[in-house]
This record gives sequence, C-alpha cells and structure tokens, in this order.
Amino acid sequence: MATPSDRSPLRRRSLFKVAGLGAAGAAGLPIVAACGDIESGSGSSQVQTGFDFLPEYKEWPLPFEPDLVGEPPNHPSAFTSFPEPVQAIADVPSGTGTYEVTIPMWGEAPSKDDDYYKAVQEAWGGTVVNIRHADGNTYAETSQQWLQANEFGDGIQLFSWMLYAHPDFRETVVNSFYDLTDLLKGDISERWPLLAGLGDTVWGKAVWSTDPDDPESARIFGIPGSMMGGVQNAMFYRTDLLDDLGMGVPTTVEELLEVARAFSDDAAGQWAFLGTDWLTPAWFGLASGDGWAYIDGKLVHNSERPEYTEWLEFRRTLHDEKLQHPDIASGTLDTKQLFKAGTSLFQQDGITFWSEYTDWVNSGEAPGGIGALGALSANGRTPLVHSKPDVEGWVFLNKDLSQEQVEELLDVANWCSSPYGTKEWELLEYGVEGTHFDYGDDGIPVFTDLGVSVVQAPVNYKTFSGEVQTFLTGPVDMVQARFEYNAAIKDLIEVDIFDGVRIEAPSAFVSAAEALKDQEDDVAFGRAEVADIPSIVETFLSNGGEAGREHFTAVYEQLHGE
Amino acid sequence: MAALQTPAPEAAQASERPRIDRRRTLAQRLRHDWPLLLLTLPAMVQLAVFFYWPSAWNIIAFMDYSPHRAFWENPIVGFAWFERLFANPYFLPALGNTLKFSLAQLAFVFPLSIILALVMHSVVSTKIRSVFQSVVYLPYFFSWVLVVTVFVQMLGSDGLVSNLMLQSGGERLTFMTDSGSFVFLAWMQWVWKDAGWGMIIFLAALASINPSLYEAAAVDGANRWKRMWHITLPGIRPVIVLLLILQLGGILTVGFEQYQLQRQSVGFQTTEVLDTFVYYRSIIGPESESFGTAAGLFKGVIGLFLILVANSVAHRLGEQGIYQKS
Repeated sequence: MATPSDRSPLRRRSLFKVAGLGAAGAAGLPIVAACGDIESGSGSSQVQTGFDFLPEYKEWPLPFEPDLVGEPPNHPSAFTSFPEPVQAIADVPSGTGTYEVTIPMWGEAPSKDDDYYKAVQEAWGGTVVNIRHADGNTYAETSQQWLQANEFGDGIQLFSWMLYAHPDFRETVVNSFYDLTDLLKGDISERWPLLAGLGDTVWGKAVWSTDPDDPESARIFGIPGSMMGGVQNAMFYRTDLLDDLGMGVPTTVEELLEVARAFSDDAAGQWAFLGTDWLTPAWFGLASGDGWAYIDGKLVHNSERPEYTEWLEFRRTLHDEKLQHPDIASGTLDTKQLFKAGTSLFQQDGITFWSEYTDWVNSGEAPGGIGALGALSANGRTPLVHSKPDVEGWVFLNKDLSQEQVEELLDVANWCSSPYGTKEWELLEYGVEGTHFDYGDDGIPVFTDLGVSVVQAPVNYKTFSGEVQTFLTGPVDMVQARFEYNAAIKDLIEVDIFDGVRIEAPSAFVSAAEALKDQEDDVAFGRAEVADIPSIVETFLSNGGEAGREHFTAVYEQLHGE
Repeated sequence: MAALQTPAPEAAQASERPRIDRRRTLAQRLRHDWPLLLLTLPAMVQLAVFFYWPSAWNIIAFMDYSPHRAFWENPIVGFAWFERLFANPYFLPALGNTLKFSLAQLAFVFPLSIILALVMHSVVSTKIRSVFQSVVYLPYFFSWVLVVTVFVQMLGSDGLVSNLMLQSGGERLTFMTDSGSFVFLAWMQWVWKDAGWGMIIFLAALASINPSLYEAAAVDGANRWKRMWHITLPGIRPVIVLLLILQLGGILTVGFEQYQLQRQSVGFQTTEVLDTFVYYRSIIGPESESFGTAAGLFKGVIGLFLILVANSVAHRLGEQGIYQKS
C-alpha cells in the first residue's frame, strides 16, 4: 500500500476535517439564510367550466346518424353498421415539419417503417410525426422525469389516469407545455372545424391555471382526447361458464356469492374471482374517486361509513372461503389469461375488455363468451354505478415549439378528430385496406395479422386528438349488448359532487389514502382482521384524512355556494 | 536514559547539513505523475459525474425545490423538510423495518458467506468446487424480479410445493403472503441470491494465506479445526472487518426491488423500508423532490457516522479498518 506523501496537502485527519467543515458549511448555509415555509403539497383545485377563451363551439355535422340512439354521455349512441366512409376534410393543409411525440405502448412495439404511418401522414398533409413508444407499464412514473428534464420530444401523450404519479401536475403543465389559448380561442372553425366541434365540456378539461390562487390565469394547455360516454369499467363474466353452472346472472351481492361458491374449487385450481379491489366498492354504495360523499350536511369519507366495513367483510369472505385466486395478492398474475383459460369466472377490467375478448372469441383465440355484471346491490340497498365522463387523456406540446409548428400540429389534431363514418377515421382505426384490414362479408373491416400488431394493438395516432363525437362501435353483438347495458344502468350512475372541478388533494391526504388502500388489502387478504378497521380508519383520519376533508370541503362549498 | 537523549553523531551531523528543499512544484509533479493521473481519470470522471455532482444537489433538501424554477429562485426552508420527514407517520415504521432487515442480513447472511467460503476452501476436488461455486454464485446475477418470480412459482399459494401438498391431502402454503414470516422469506431470498457473492470475496482473501502455514501447523499436529481457528480465520480477519464496516455504513440501505415487488403480497407495513418510503412518498408520491432528498441525506449522514464509529472501534482493536491508520 502506498504511503501518503508527507508533502500531501491533505492527510487522513485533515481530510475528514475538511469534509466535516464542508458538510457543516453546506448544512449551516441554509440555517444562516432566512428560512421560509414549505408551500408545495398543500393541494389545489381547478374549475373546468365557465371560460370565455375556449374555442367557439360549432357543431360538426355527422355524415351518418347512429343506428342506436342513446342519451349521451351516460348512455352513448351506437353504430351496428359500417357505412361507406366519406371524406371529412376536403382540403388538407400541407405540412413539412418533422416532430417526435412520446406515446405509451403496452406489449411489443411495431415497426416504425410500416405503411400505416406513411399512409396516415400523407393523408393529413405530409407532416411527419414520429412516435416514440415508451413502456406503458412504467410510463406514468417515468414520464414525470422526462417532463422535468424536458426530454419528451415535441409532444407527449398522457392518459388521465396517469396523473396519480404526477404530484403537483399543474406546475408541470404550466411550465413544460405550450399555451394553446391564443391559437384556439374564439372561432377556429375555418381552419380546425373538428376541433371546434369538440365542445366546451371537452376543452374545459384541458385547462390549467398558471397561478393556482388566481382563476383568471386559466389557460388551455393540452389537446384533449376523446370523451367516452357510458360506464368505463365492469365486472365481466364468462357466459359459457355461467351457463354450465345452470345459474342466472346475479343481480345482488348475495346471489353473486352463491354463484362464486358454486364455481370455485380450490383443490382443482378454480376460483370465481381474481381482483376485486377497485370495482366492488360501488356495489356497497361507496363513493368513487377520493371517496368523499356529502351526507347529513358534511363530507364523509368512505372509510367512516358502515358500508365500508360491509365491503371489506365481503372481500374477506372471498379470501376465507377460497373464492378468489390465492396468489391475487402478489399482483403478478396475468388475469386476462386466467380468465380466458377458465381458471376464473369473473374479471374486473376496463370496458374495452368487452370488445377485446369478443375479438378473441371471433378469431378463435378464446372460448365461450363474455358479459358484464349489471349494478349489484348489497343488503337490499339501491345499487350504485361509478362512472365519470372524462376525456381519456391529452397530448401536450412542448413549450419550446414555435407558433407555426404548433399550428401545424393542430392541423394534424384536427384531422385525427374525425369521427366514425369518415375515411380519416377508417384509416386511423383500421389502416390501409388490403394491408391492415379487409372488409368482411357484412361490410365491416376485419384486421389482418399485421393490422392487429401495427394498428389495433398499440396506442398511436388514434389518440392524438379526441373524436368530435364518440359512439359505441365494433362487433355488432357486442355493441348491441353494451348499448343495452348502458341503458339498464344509466339511471344508477353516481352523482359527482365535484363535477366541473379537477382537484389535487393535499400530500398528507394522498399519503394517508395510499396507506389506507394497502391496509384494506391487509384486511381482505387476511393480514389484518375486520375488527382492526376502526383503528385503521382512525389512523387514516389523523394522518391526513382530516386534512383532506378540510380541503375537499372548501372546494365543495366553493362549488355549491355554501 | 541520558545517553538515549544524546543525539547520535550521524544525526547531529545531519542536522548541521544545509537543508535542501526537495519540494516539487505542481507542474513538476504533474509532469512526473501524468501517466498515473491519466489512468485514474476515468474513475475520477465517473466519481465526479455520478457521485460528487449529485451529492452537491443535496442542498435541495434545504429548499422548497421545484425543477421548474431557476435554482436560485427556490426558497430556502432550513430544516423544514427534515421536520416534515420525522413527523411523517410512515417514516419511523419504515426506519424500523430497514434496521430490522439490515440487522438480519448482518447476523444471518454475512456469517453464512464466510461459512460457505470456508466450506468451499476445504473442498479438494476441482470439479466439485467448480460445480459448487457455480450453483452458489449464479443467483447473484439474477434480477430481483426473477428471484421473486421463482419463489412465487415454487412457494406461492398456487406454486409447485402447494400443488404437491394439495395432491397429498395437505393445504396450500401461505408463506409468500404471510407478513409474520416475511423476514424468514427475505432471508431465504438473500441467501439464495447474495450469499454466493459474499463467498467469492472471502475466497479471494483465503487464497492469499500462505499454504506453508497450514503445512507447518499440520506437522505440529494441529487438526482441521485448529488450523481453521488459528490460521484461516485470522488470515481473513482484515477482510471480515472491512466488509463489516462497509455493511454498517449501508445499514439504512437494504435494497429496493425485493421489498417493492413483494409489497402487495405481504403488505406495506411489513415491507416498507426507507428506499420504498422515498419512492412511494416522493418519487411517485405527493411529496416533492426535497422531501426525498432529505430522507436520502438522513441515510447518508447516519451511514457516514456509523462507518467512522466502526472504523474507529476497529482501529482501537488493532484492525486495519477501511484505511491504514497513519
């Protein structure tokens, strides 16, 4: 070992002294300086209605009327036919720019050289929009880092459910994204008629305030995605397996348990349920979102209500009676495959799983059929359905773009807003005829294998901008079933007491709510007892629940004028 | 004693000689040492970019930091984030879990690596040694995702062992979801994944022991246990002490993936350690970067303190520690 030189300016002890002085200096500097209070993490709210700077609404006339007319938004209209598409935009503006947009991707990313991209870009006027696909499984979390480092290309797509991973998203929005207000306010129907047809409700959901304390500072920062109507989540069941049991579709939680007991056979590796955590609270009348309901003149959290205990008892019953897959708590199961294999009878999922499974059945990949449980009631109460019409997400443009570049991308967005029944929609949703799809005997496009991997499966230009109007479309039987399903439950949909406001809760509440959710799983999976619920709730309220109540109550009173 | 205090004639003469200042200028030293400095350059750059530069950003633990503001516009808040950290109701349980897992690693995995190395060292057959080394060492290169998946497939409620037990009339295992036995589960995973790595380091230390010491001891009649006790263990003692000190320094860093991956299975109260706490409360949680940095700085300060204390104790006990005592 080399001996340190006597002439070395630092010896071991002096090295530590210097390091200590440095550390003390670093630590002491802030103390010497004037200290302030922490401002971040106190929560905020953003009103989404009543703006005078949104694009002036001009209805975009649909080329075809839907076959099944519902009552949007909770009961959307539907198409059971595929009319010969017409051109939505006669003269597309020519674009010469090249842009890169970050978009989430689940599964294997398709080749970027596919004809789909060239065909779509040519159709919208030549603007090149290269997609940077990123892993959808980690997208919500990692996108936060890209945004802070301004490394997301010229634009980024975020689904609205991803905001859970973005603390203080308002600050990110107003500092990272292009303010579209000056380009979009007023009458834009001449250049962007489809964007003008989206309507105030949709555009209002793309607004954030530059100053959280000043409602007048609200601006448009995103291109909103489609606002899908109807219920967005459901508990699906295998119709063939239920028929095999000789039992009807359950309409109450009690009937559901009977069906589950009849189906489950632990020794044979068969369980009625997989996940039940986020869908089942509605069956017990609990509130959606952050869990607040207005009861007897005040906001009451789900955890404070007797129905909460009933709900956890129900989940615990599934565990104790082995009606639920024993490894569901691990979070590692491929639930769709288990449902497909008949290992389970029920599957909680997004509503698009209905068409996904129907496509599998039609292509011979999956057996049987699929249906969705209606609004279930527990203990004789009136059933409740959670559904909140919202945009599916946004595409945000980088603040460093020039006005001309943003206008060119808005041209693209306008093209992408074309609805069902247009050539633009067909190209976006199905690709090129003969390459990505062929017309079936009934005139409805059927994907080729290439079409499935390049067009159908990935998120791509389809979600670049919201469709001017949305409908239920797809396999006829599924569309008919979904239409009837929405009709049956539309009147049971929960009234959103915070409708028209986007709320970011205080950090203490978010932390406490996250811990509460974990503790709910503890009870449901046998790691804690039902008798522990009161102490769990007490901890939740003291650790952030009461701070949340204060914040949400203030928003509620502001919204309802109390 | 007086004679001892009298300078030796040579020394006296030396003190009378004119002093020659052999101190070299910085330029001379650079010219002389540039090949060595060049060799260290990549490591210095790596340290500067990935350690010292990020370390400088610890300053945001004292600011109400926002990445969207210019650095100097971030208000200084003193120790407010530390106050919030210590007041956070989930911090102390996370700290407790971290210490629990760390001490369990120290007590039940660290010695196992030494034992494995000793066993390995005693195997004479090269073929058996090679197979044994591969079997024990290979899991170190597996990711935690793979390790946890293998455990779920083997010991999960729907895993291989459970299904075998069901076929023979038994019950399913609940081992992978039992919060009460998670420390034991974690220990099994550490042993499978990490014990082999620790063994390699001790094997290297064992290889440096002069074989003639064993031969001489054997000639003197020392049996296998005595040779291990009086030659092998003293031979690797400096390495044991060094690794022990380093492990103490990292006592608040027990890893992340292993606990994050099994959080859902056994519950956050059992698996929440400081690193997952920072991830869930700050990185994807509602608290700002400053909060997470404060937690990281807390870990670093405690780690540095423990290293200095352990090193000092090692020196007092006559060990070398992490550096040669001057």
